[in-house]
Amino acid sequence: MEAANYQTDEEQLIEGLKAANEADFQMAVRLYTPGMMAVARFYLDHGAAEDMVQDCWLAVVNAIHSFEGRSGLKTWLHRIVANRAKNYLRKHQREVSTDFSESLDPDLARRFAPNGRWATPPSLRSNESAEALMENGALSDCLDKHLSHLPEAQRSALMLYEAHQHKSDDVCNILDVSASNLRVLLHRARQKIFLMVETFQETGEC
Amino acid sequence: MLMCRDLARIASDYIDGELGPMDTVSVKLHLLMCGHCRTFIGSLRTSLELMRGHSSHQLDEDFARRIDEQISQALIARDDEQD
Ligand SMILES: [Zn+2]
Repeated sequence: MEAANYQTDEEQLIEGLKAANEADFQMAVRLYTPGMMAVARFYLDHGAAEDMVQDCWLAVVNAIHSFEGRSGLKTWLHRIVANRAKNYLRKHQREVSTDFSESLDPDLARRFAPNGRWATPPSLRSNESAEALMENGALSDCLDKHLSHLPEAQRSALMLYEAHQHKSDDVCNILDVSASNLRVLLHRARQKIFLMVETFQETGEC
Repeated sequence: MLMCRDLARIASDYIDGELGPMDTVSVKLHLLMCGHCRTFIGSLRTSLELMRGHSSHQLDEDFARRIDEQISQALIARDDEQD
């Protein structure tokens, strides 16, 4: 099954879920779990996040009949995960701590001279498009590796905003961050990806 | 005067159209004069597109099967309740 085909008819999928069609649940699990994990990982470590997402799917089995479709299935699912994760943290008296003070990545900041100009400028690349780059399996693996090394908060913001195409307001709501803090998270994450792609194109190594 | 480092700080806001009109003009002026920053913005854009096309659907298949299994049991339990 191709991911793109999943998205063709959300309404039909929702009908299937309401009718307790197991194949539709399997499709929904594959379509929406990565995003739900991105939300959960913002708040929890990997093991706790998997448990939480699994519990959420069980909750969905019993709650899907009350889904009215105002927000879209993806947003609805992400909110369920976010609310549960926030409750969990409240019960365990834990807070997510993240540094929002500096929008420049340290590895990039190092590349400017004291006068604010580039000391080590970005390397000029061949005009390879993102599509052409994506064909490169080694680069794709490298991207996976770097994504997994990003701080959780940055990765979750990046995944929800770029990969899952949520609007800023939704991401702020789901992750409980202010609009300006979301901007910092996104920018920090993007710089890391930029640095990774640059190194990869220069050296062919990850 | 906007310096390269300042531009690097607000590059994402520029790309997403989140900058105010004054800052947007400053960035555009800087980009007219500075090839390095043009390269930077261009590469940052490419990185973003790369992200958009990548890994939104990566999922551990074992984990997915565990969820399938649980859902399957929950559906049976739900049907039993309804009967
Ligand atoms: Zn510059």
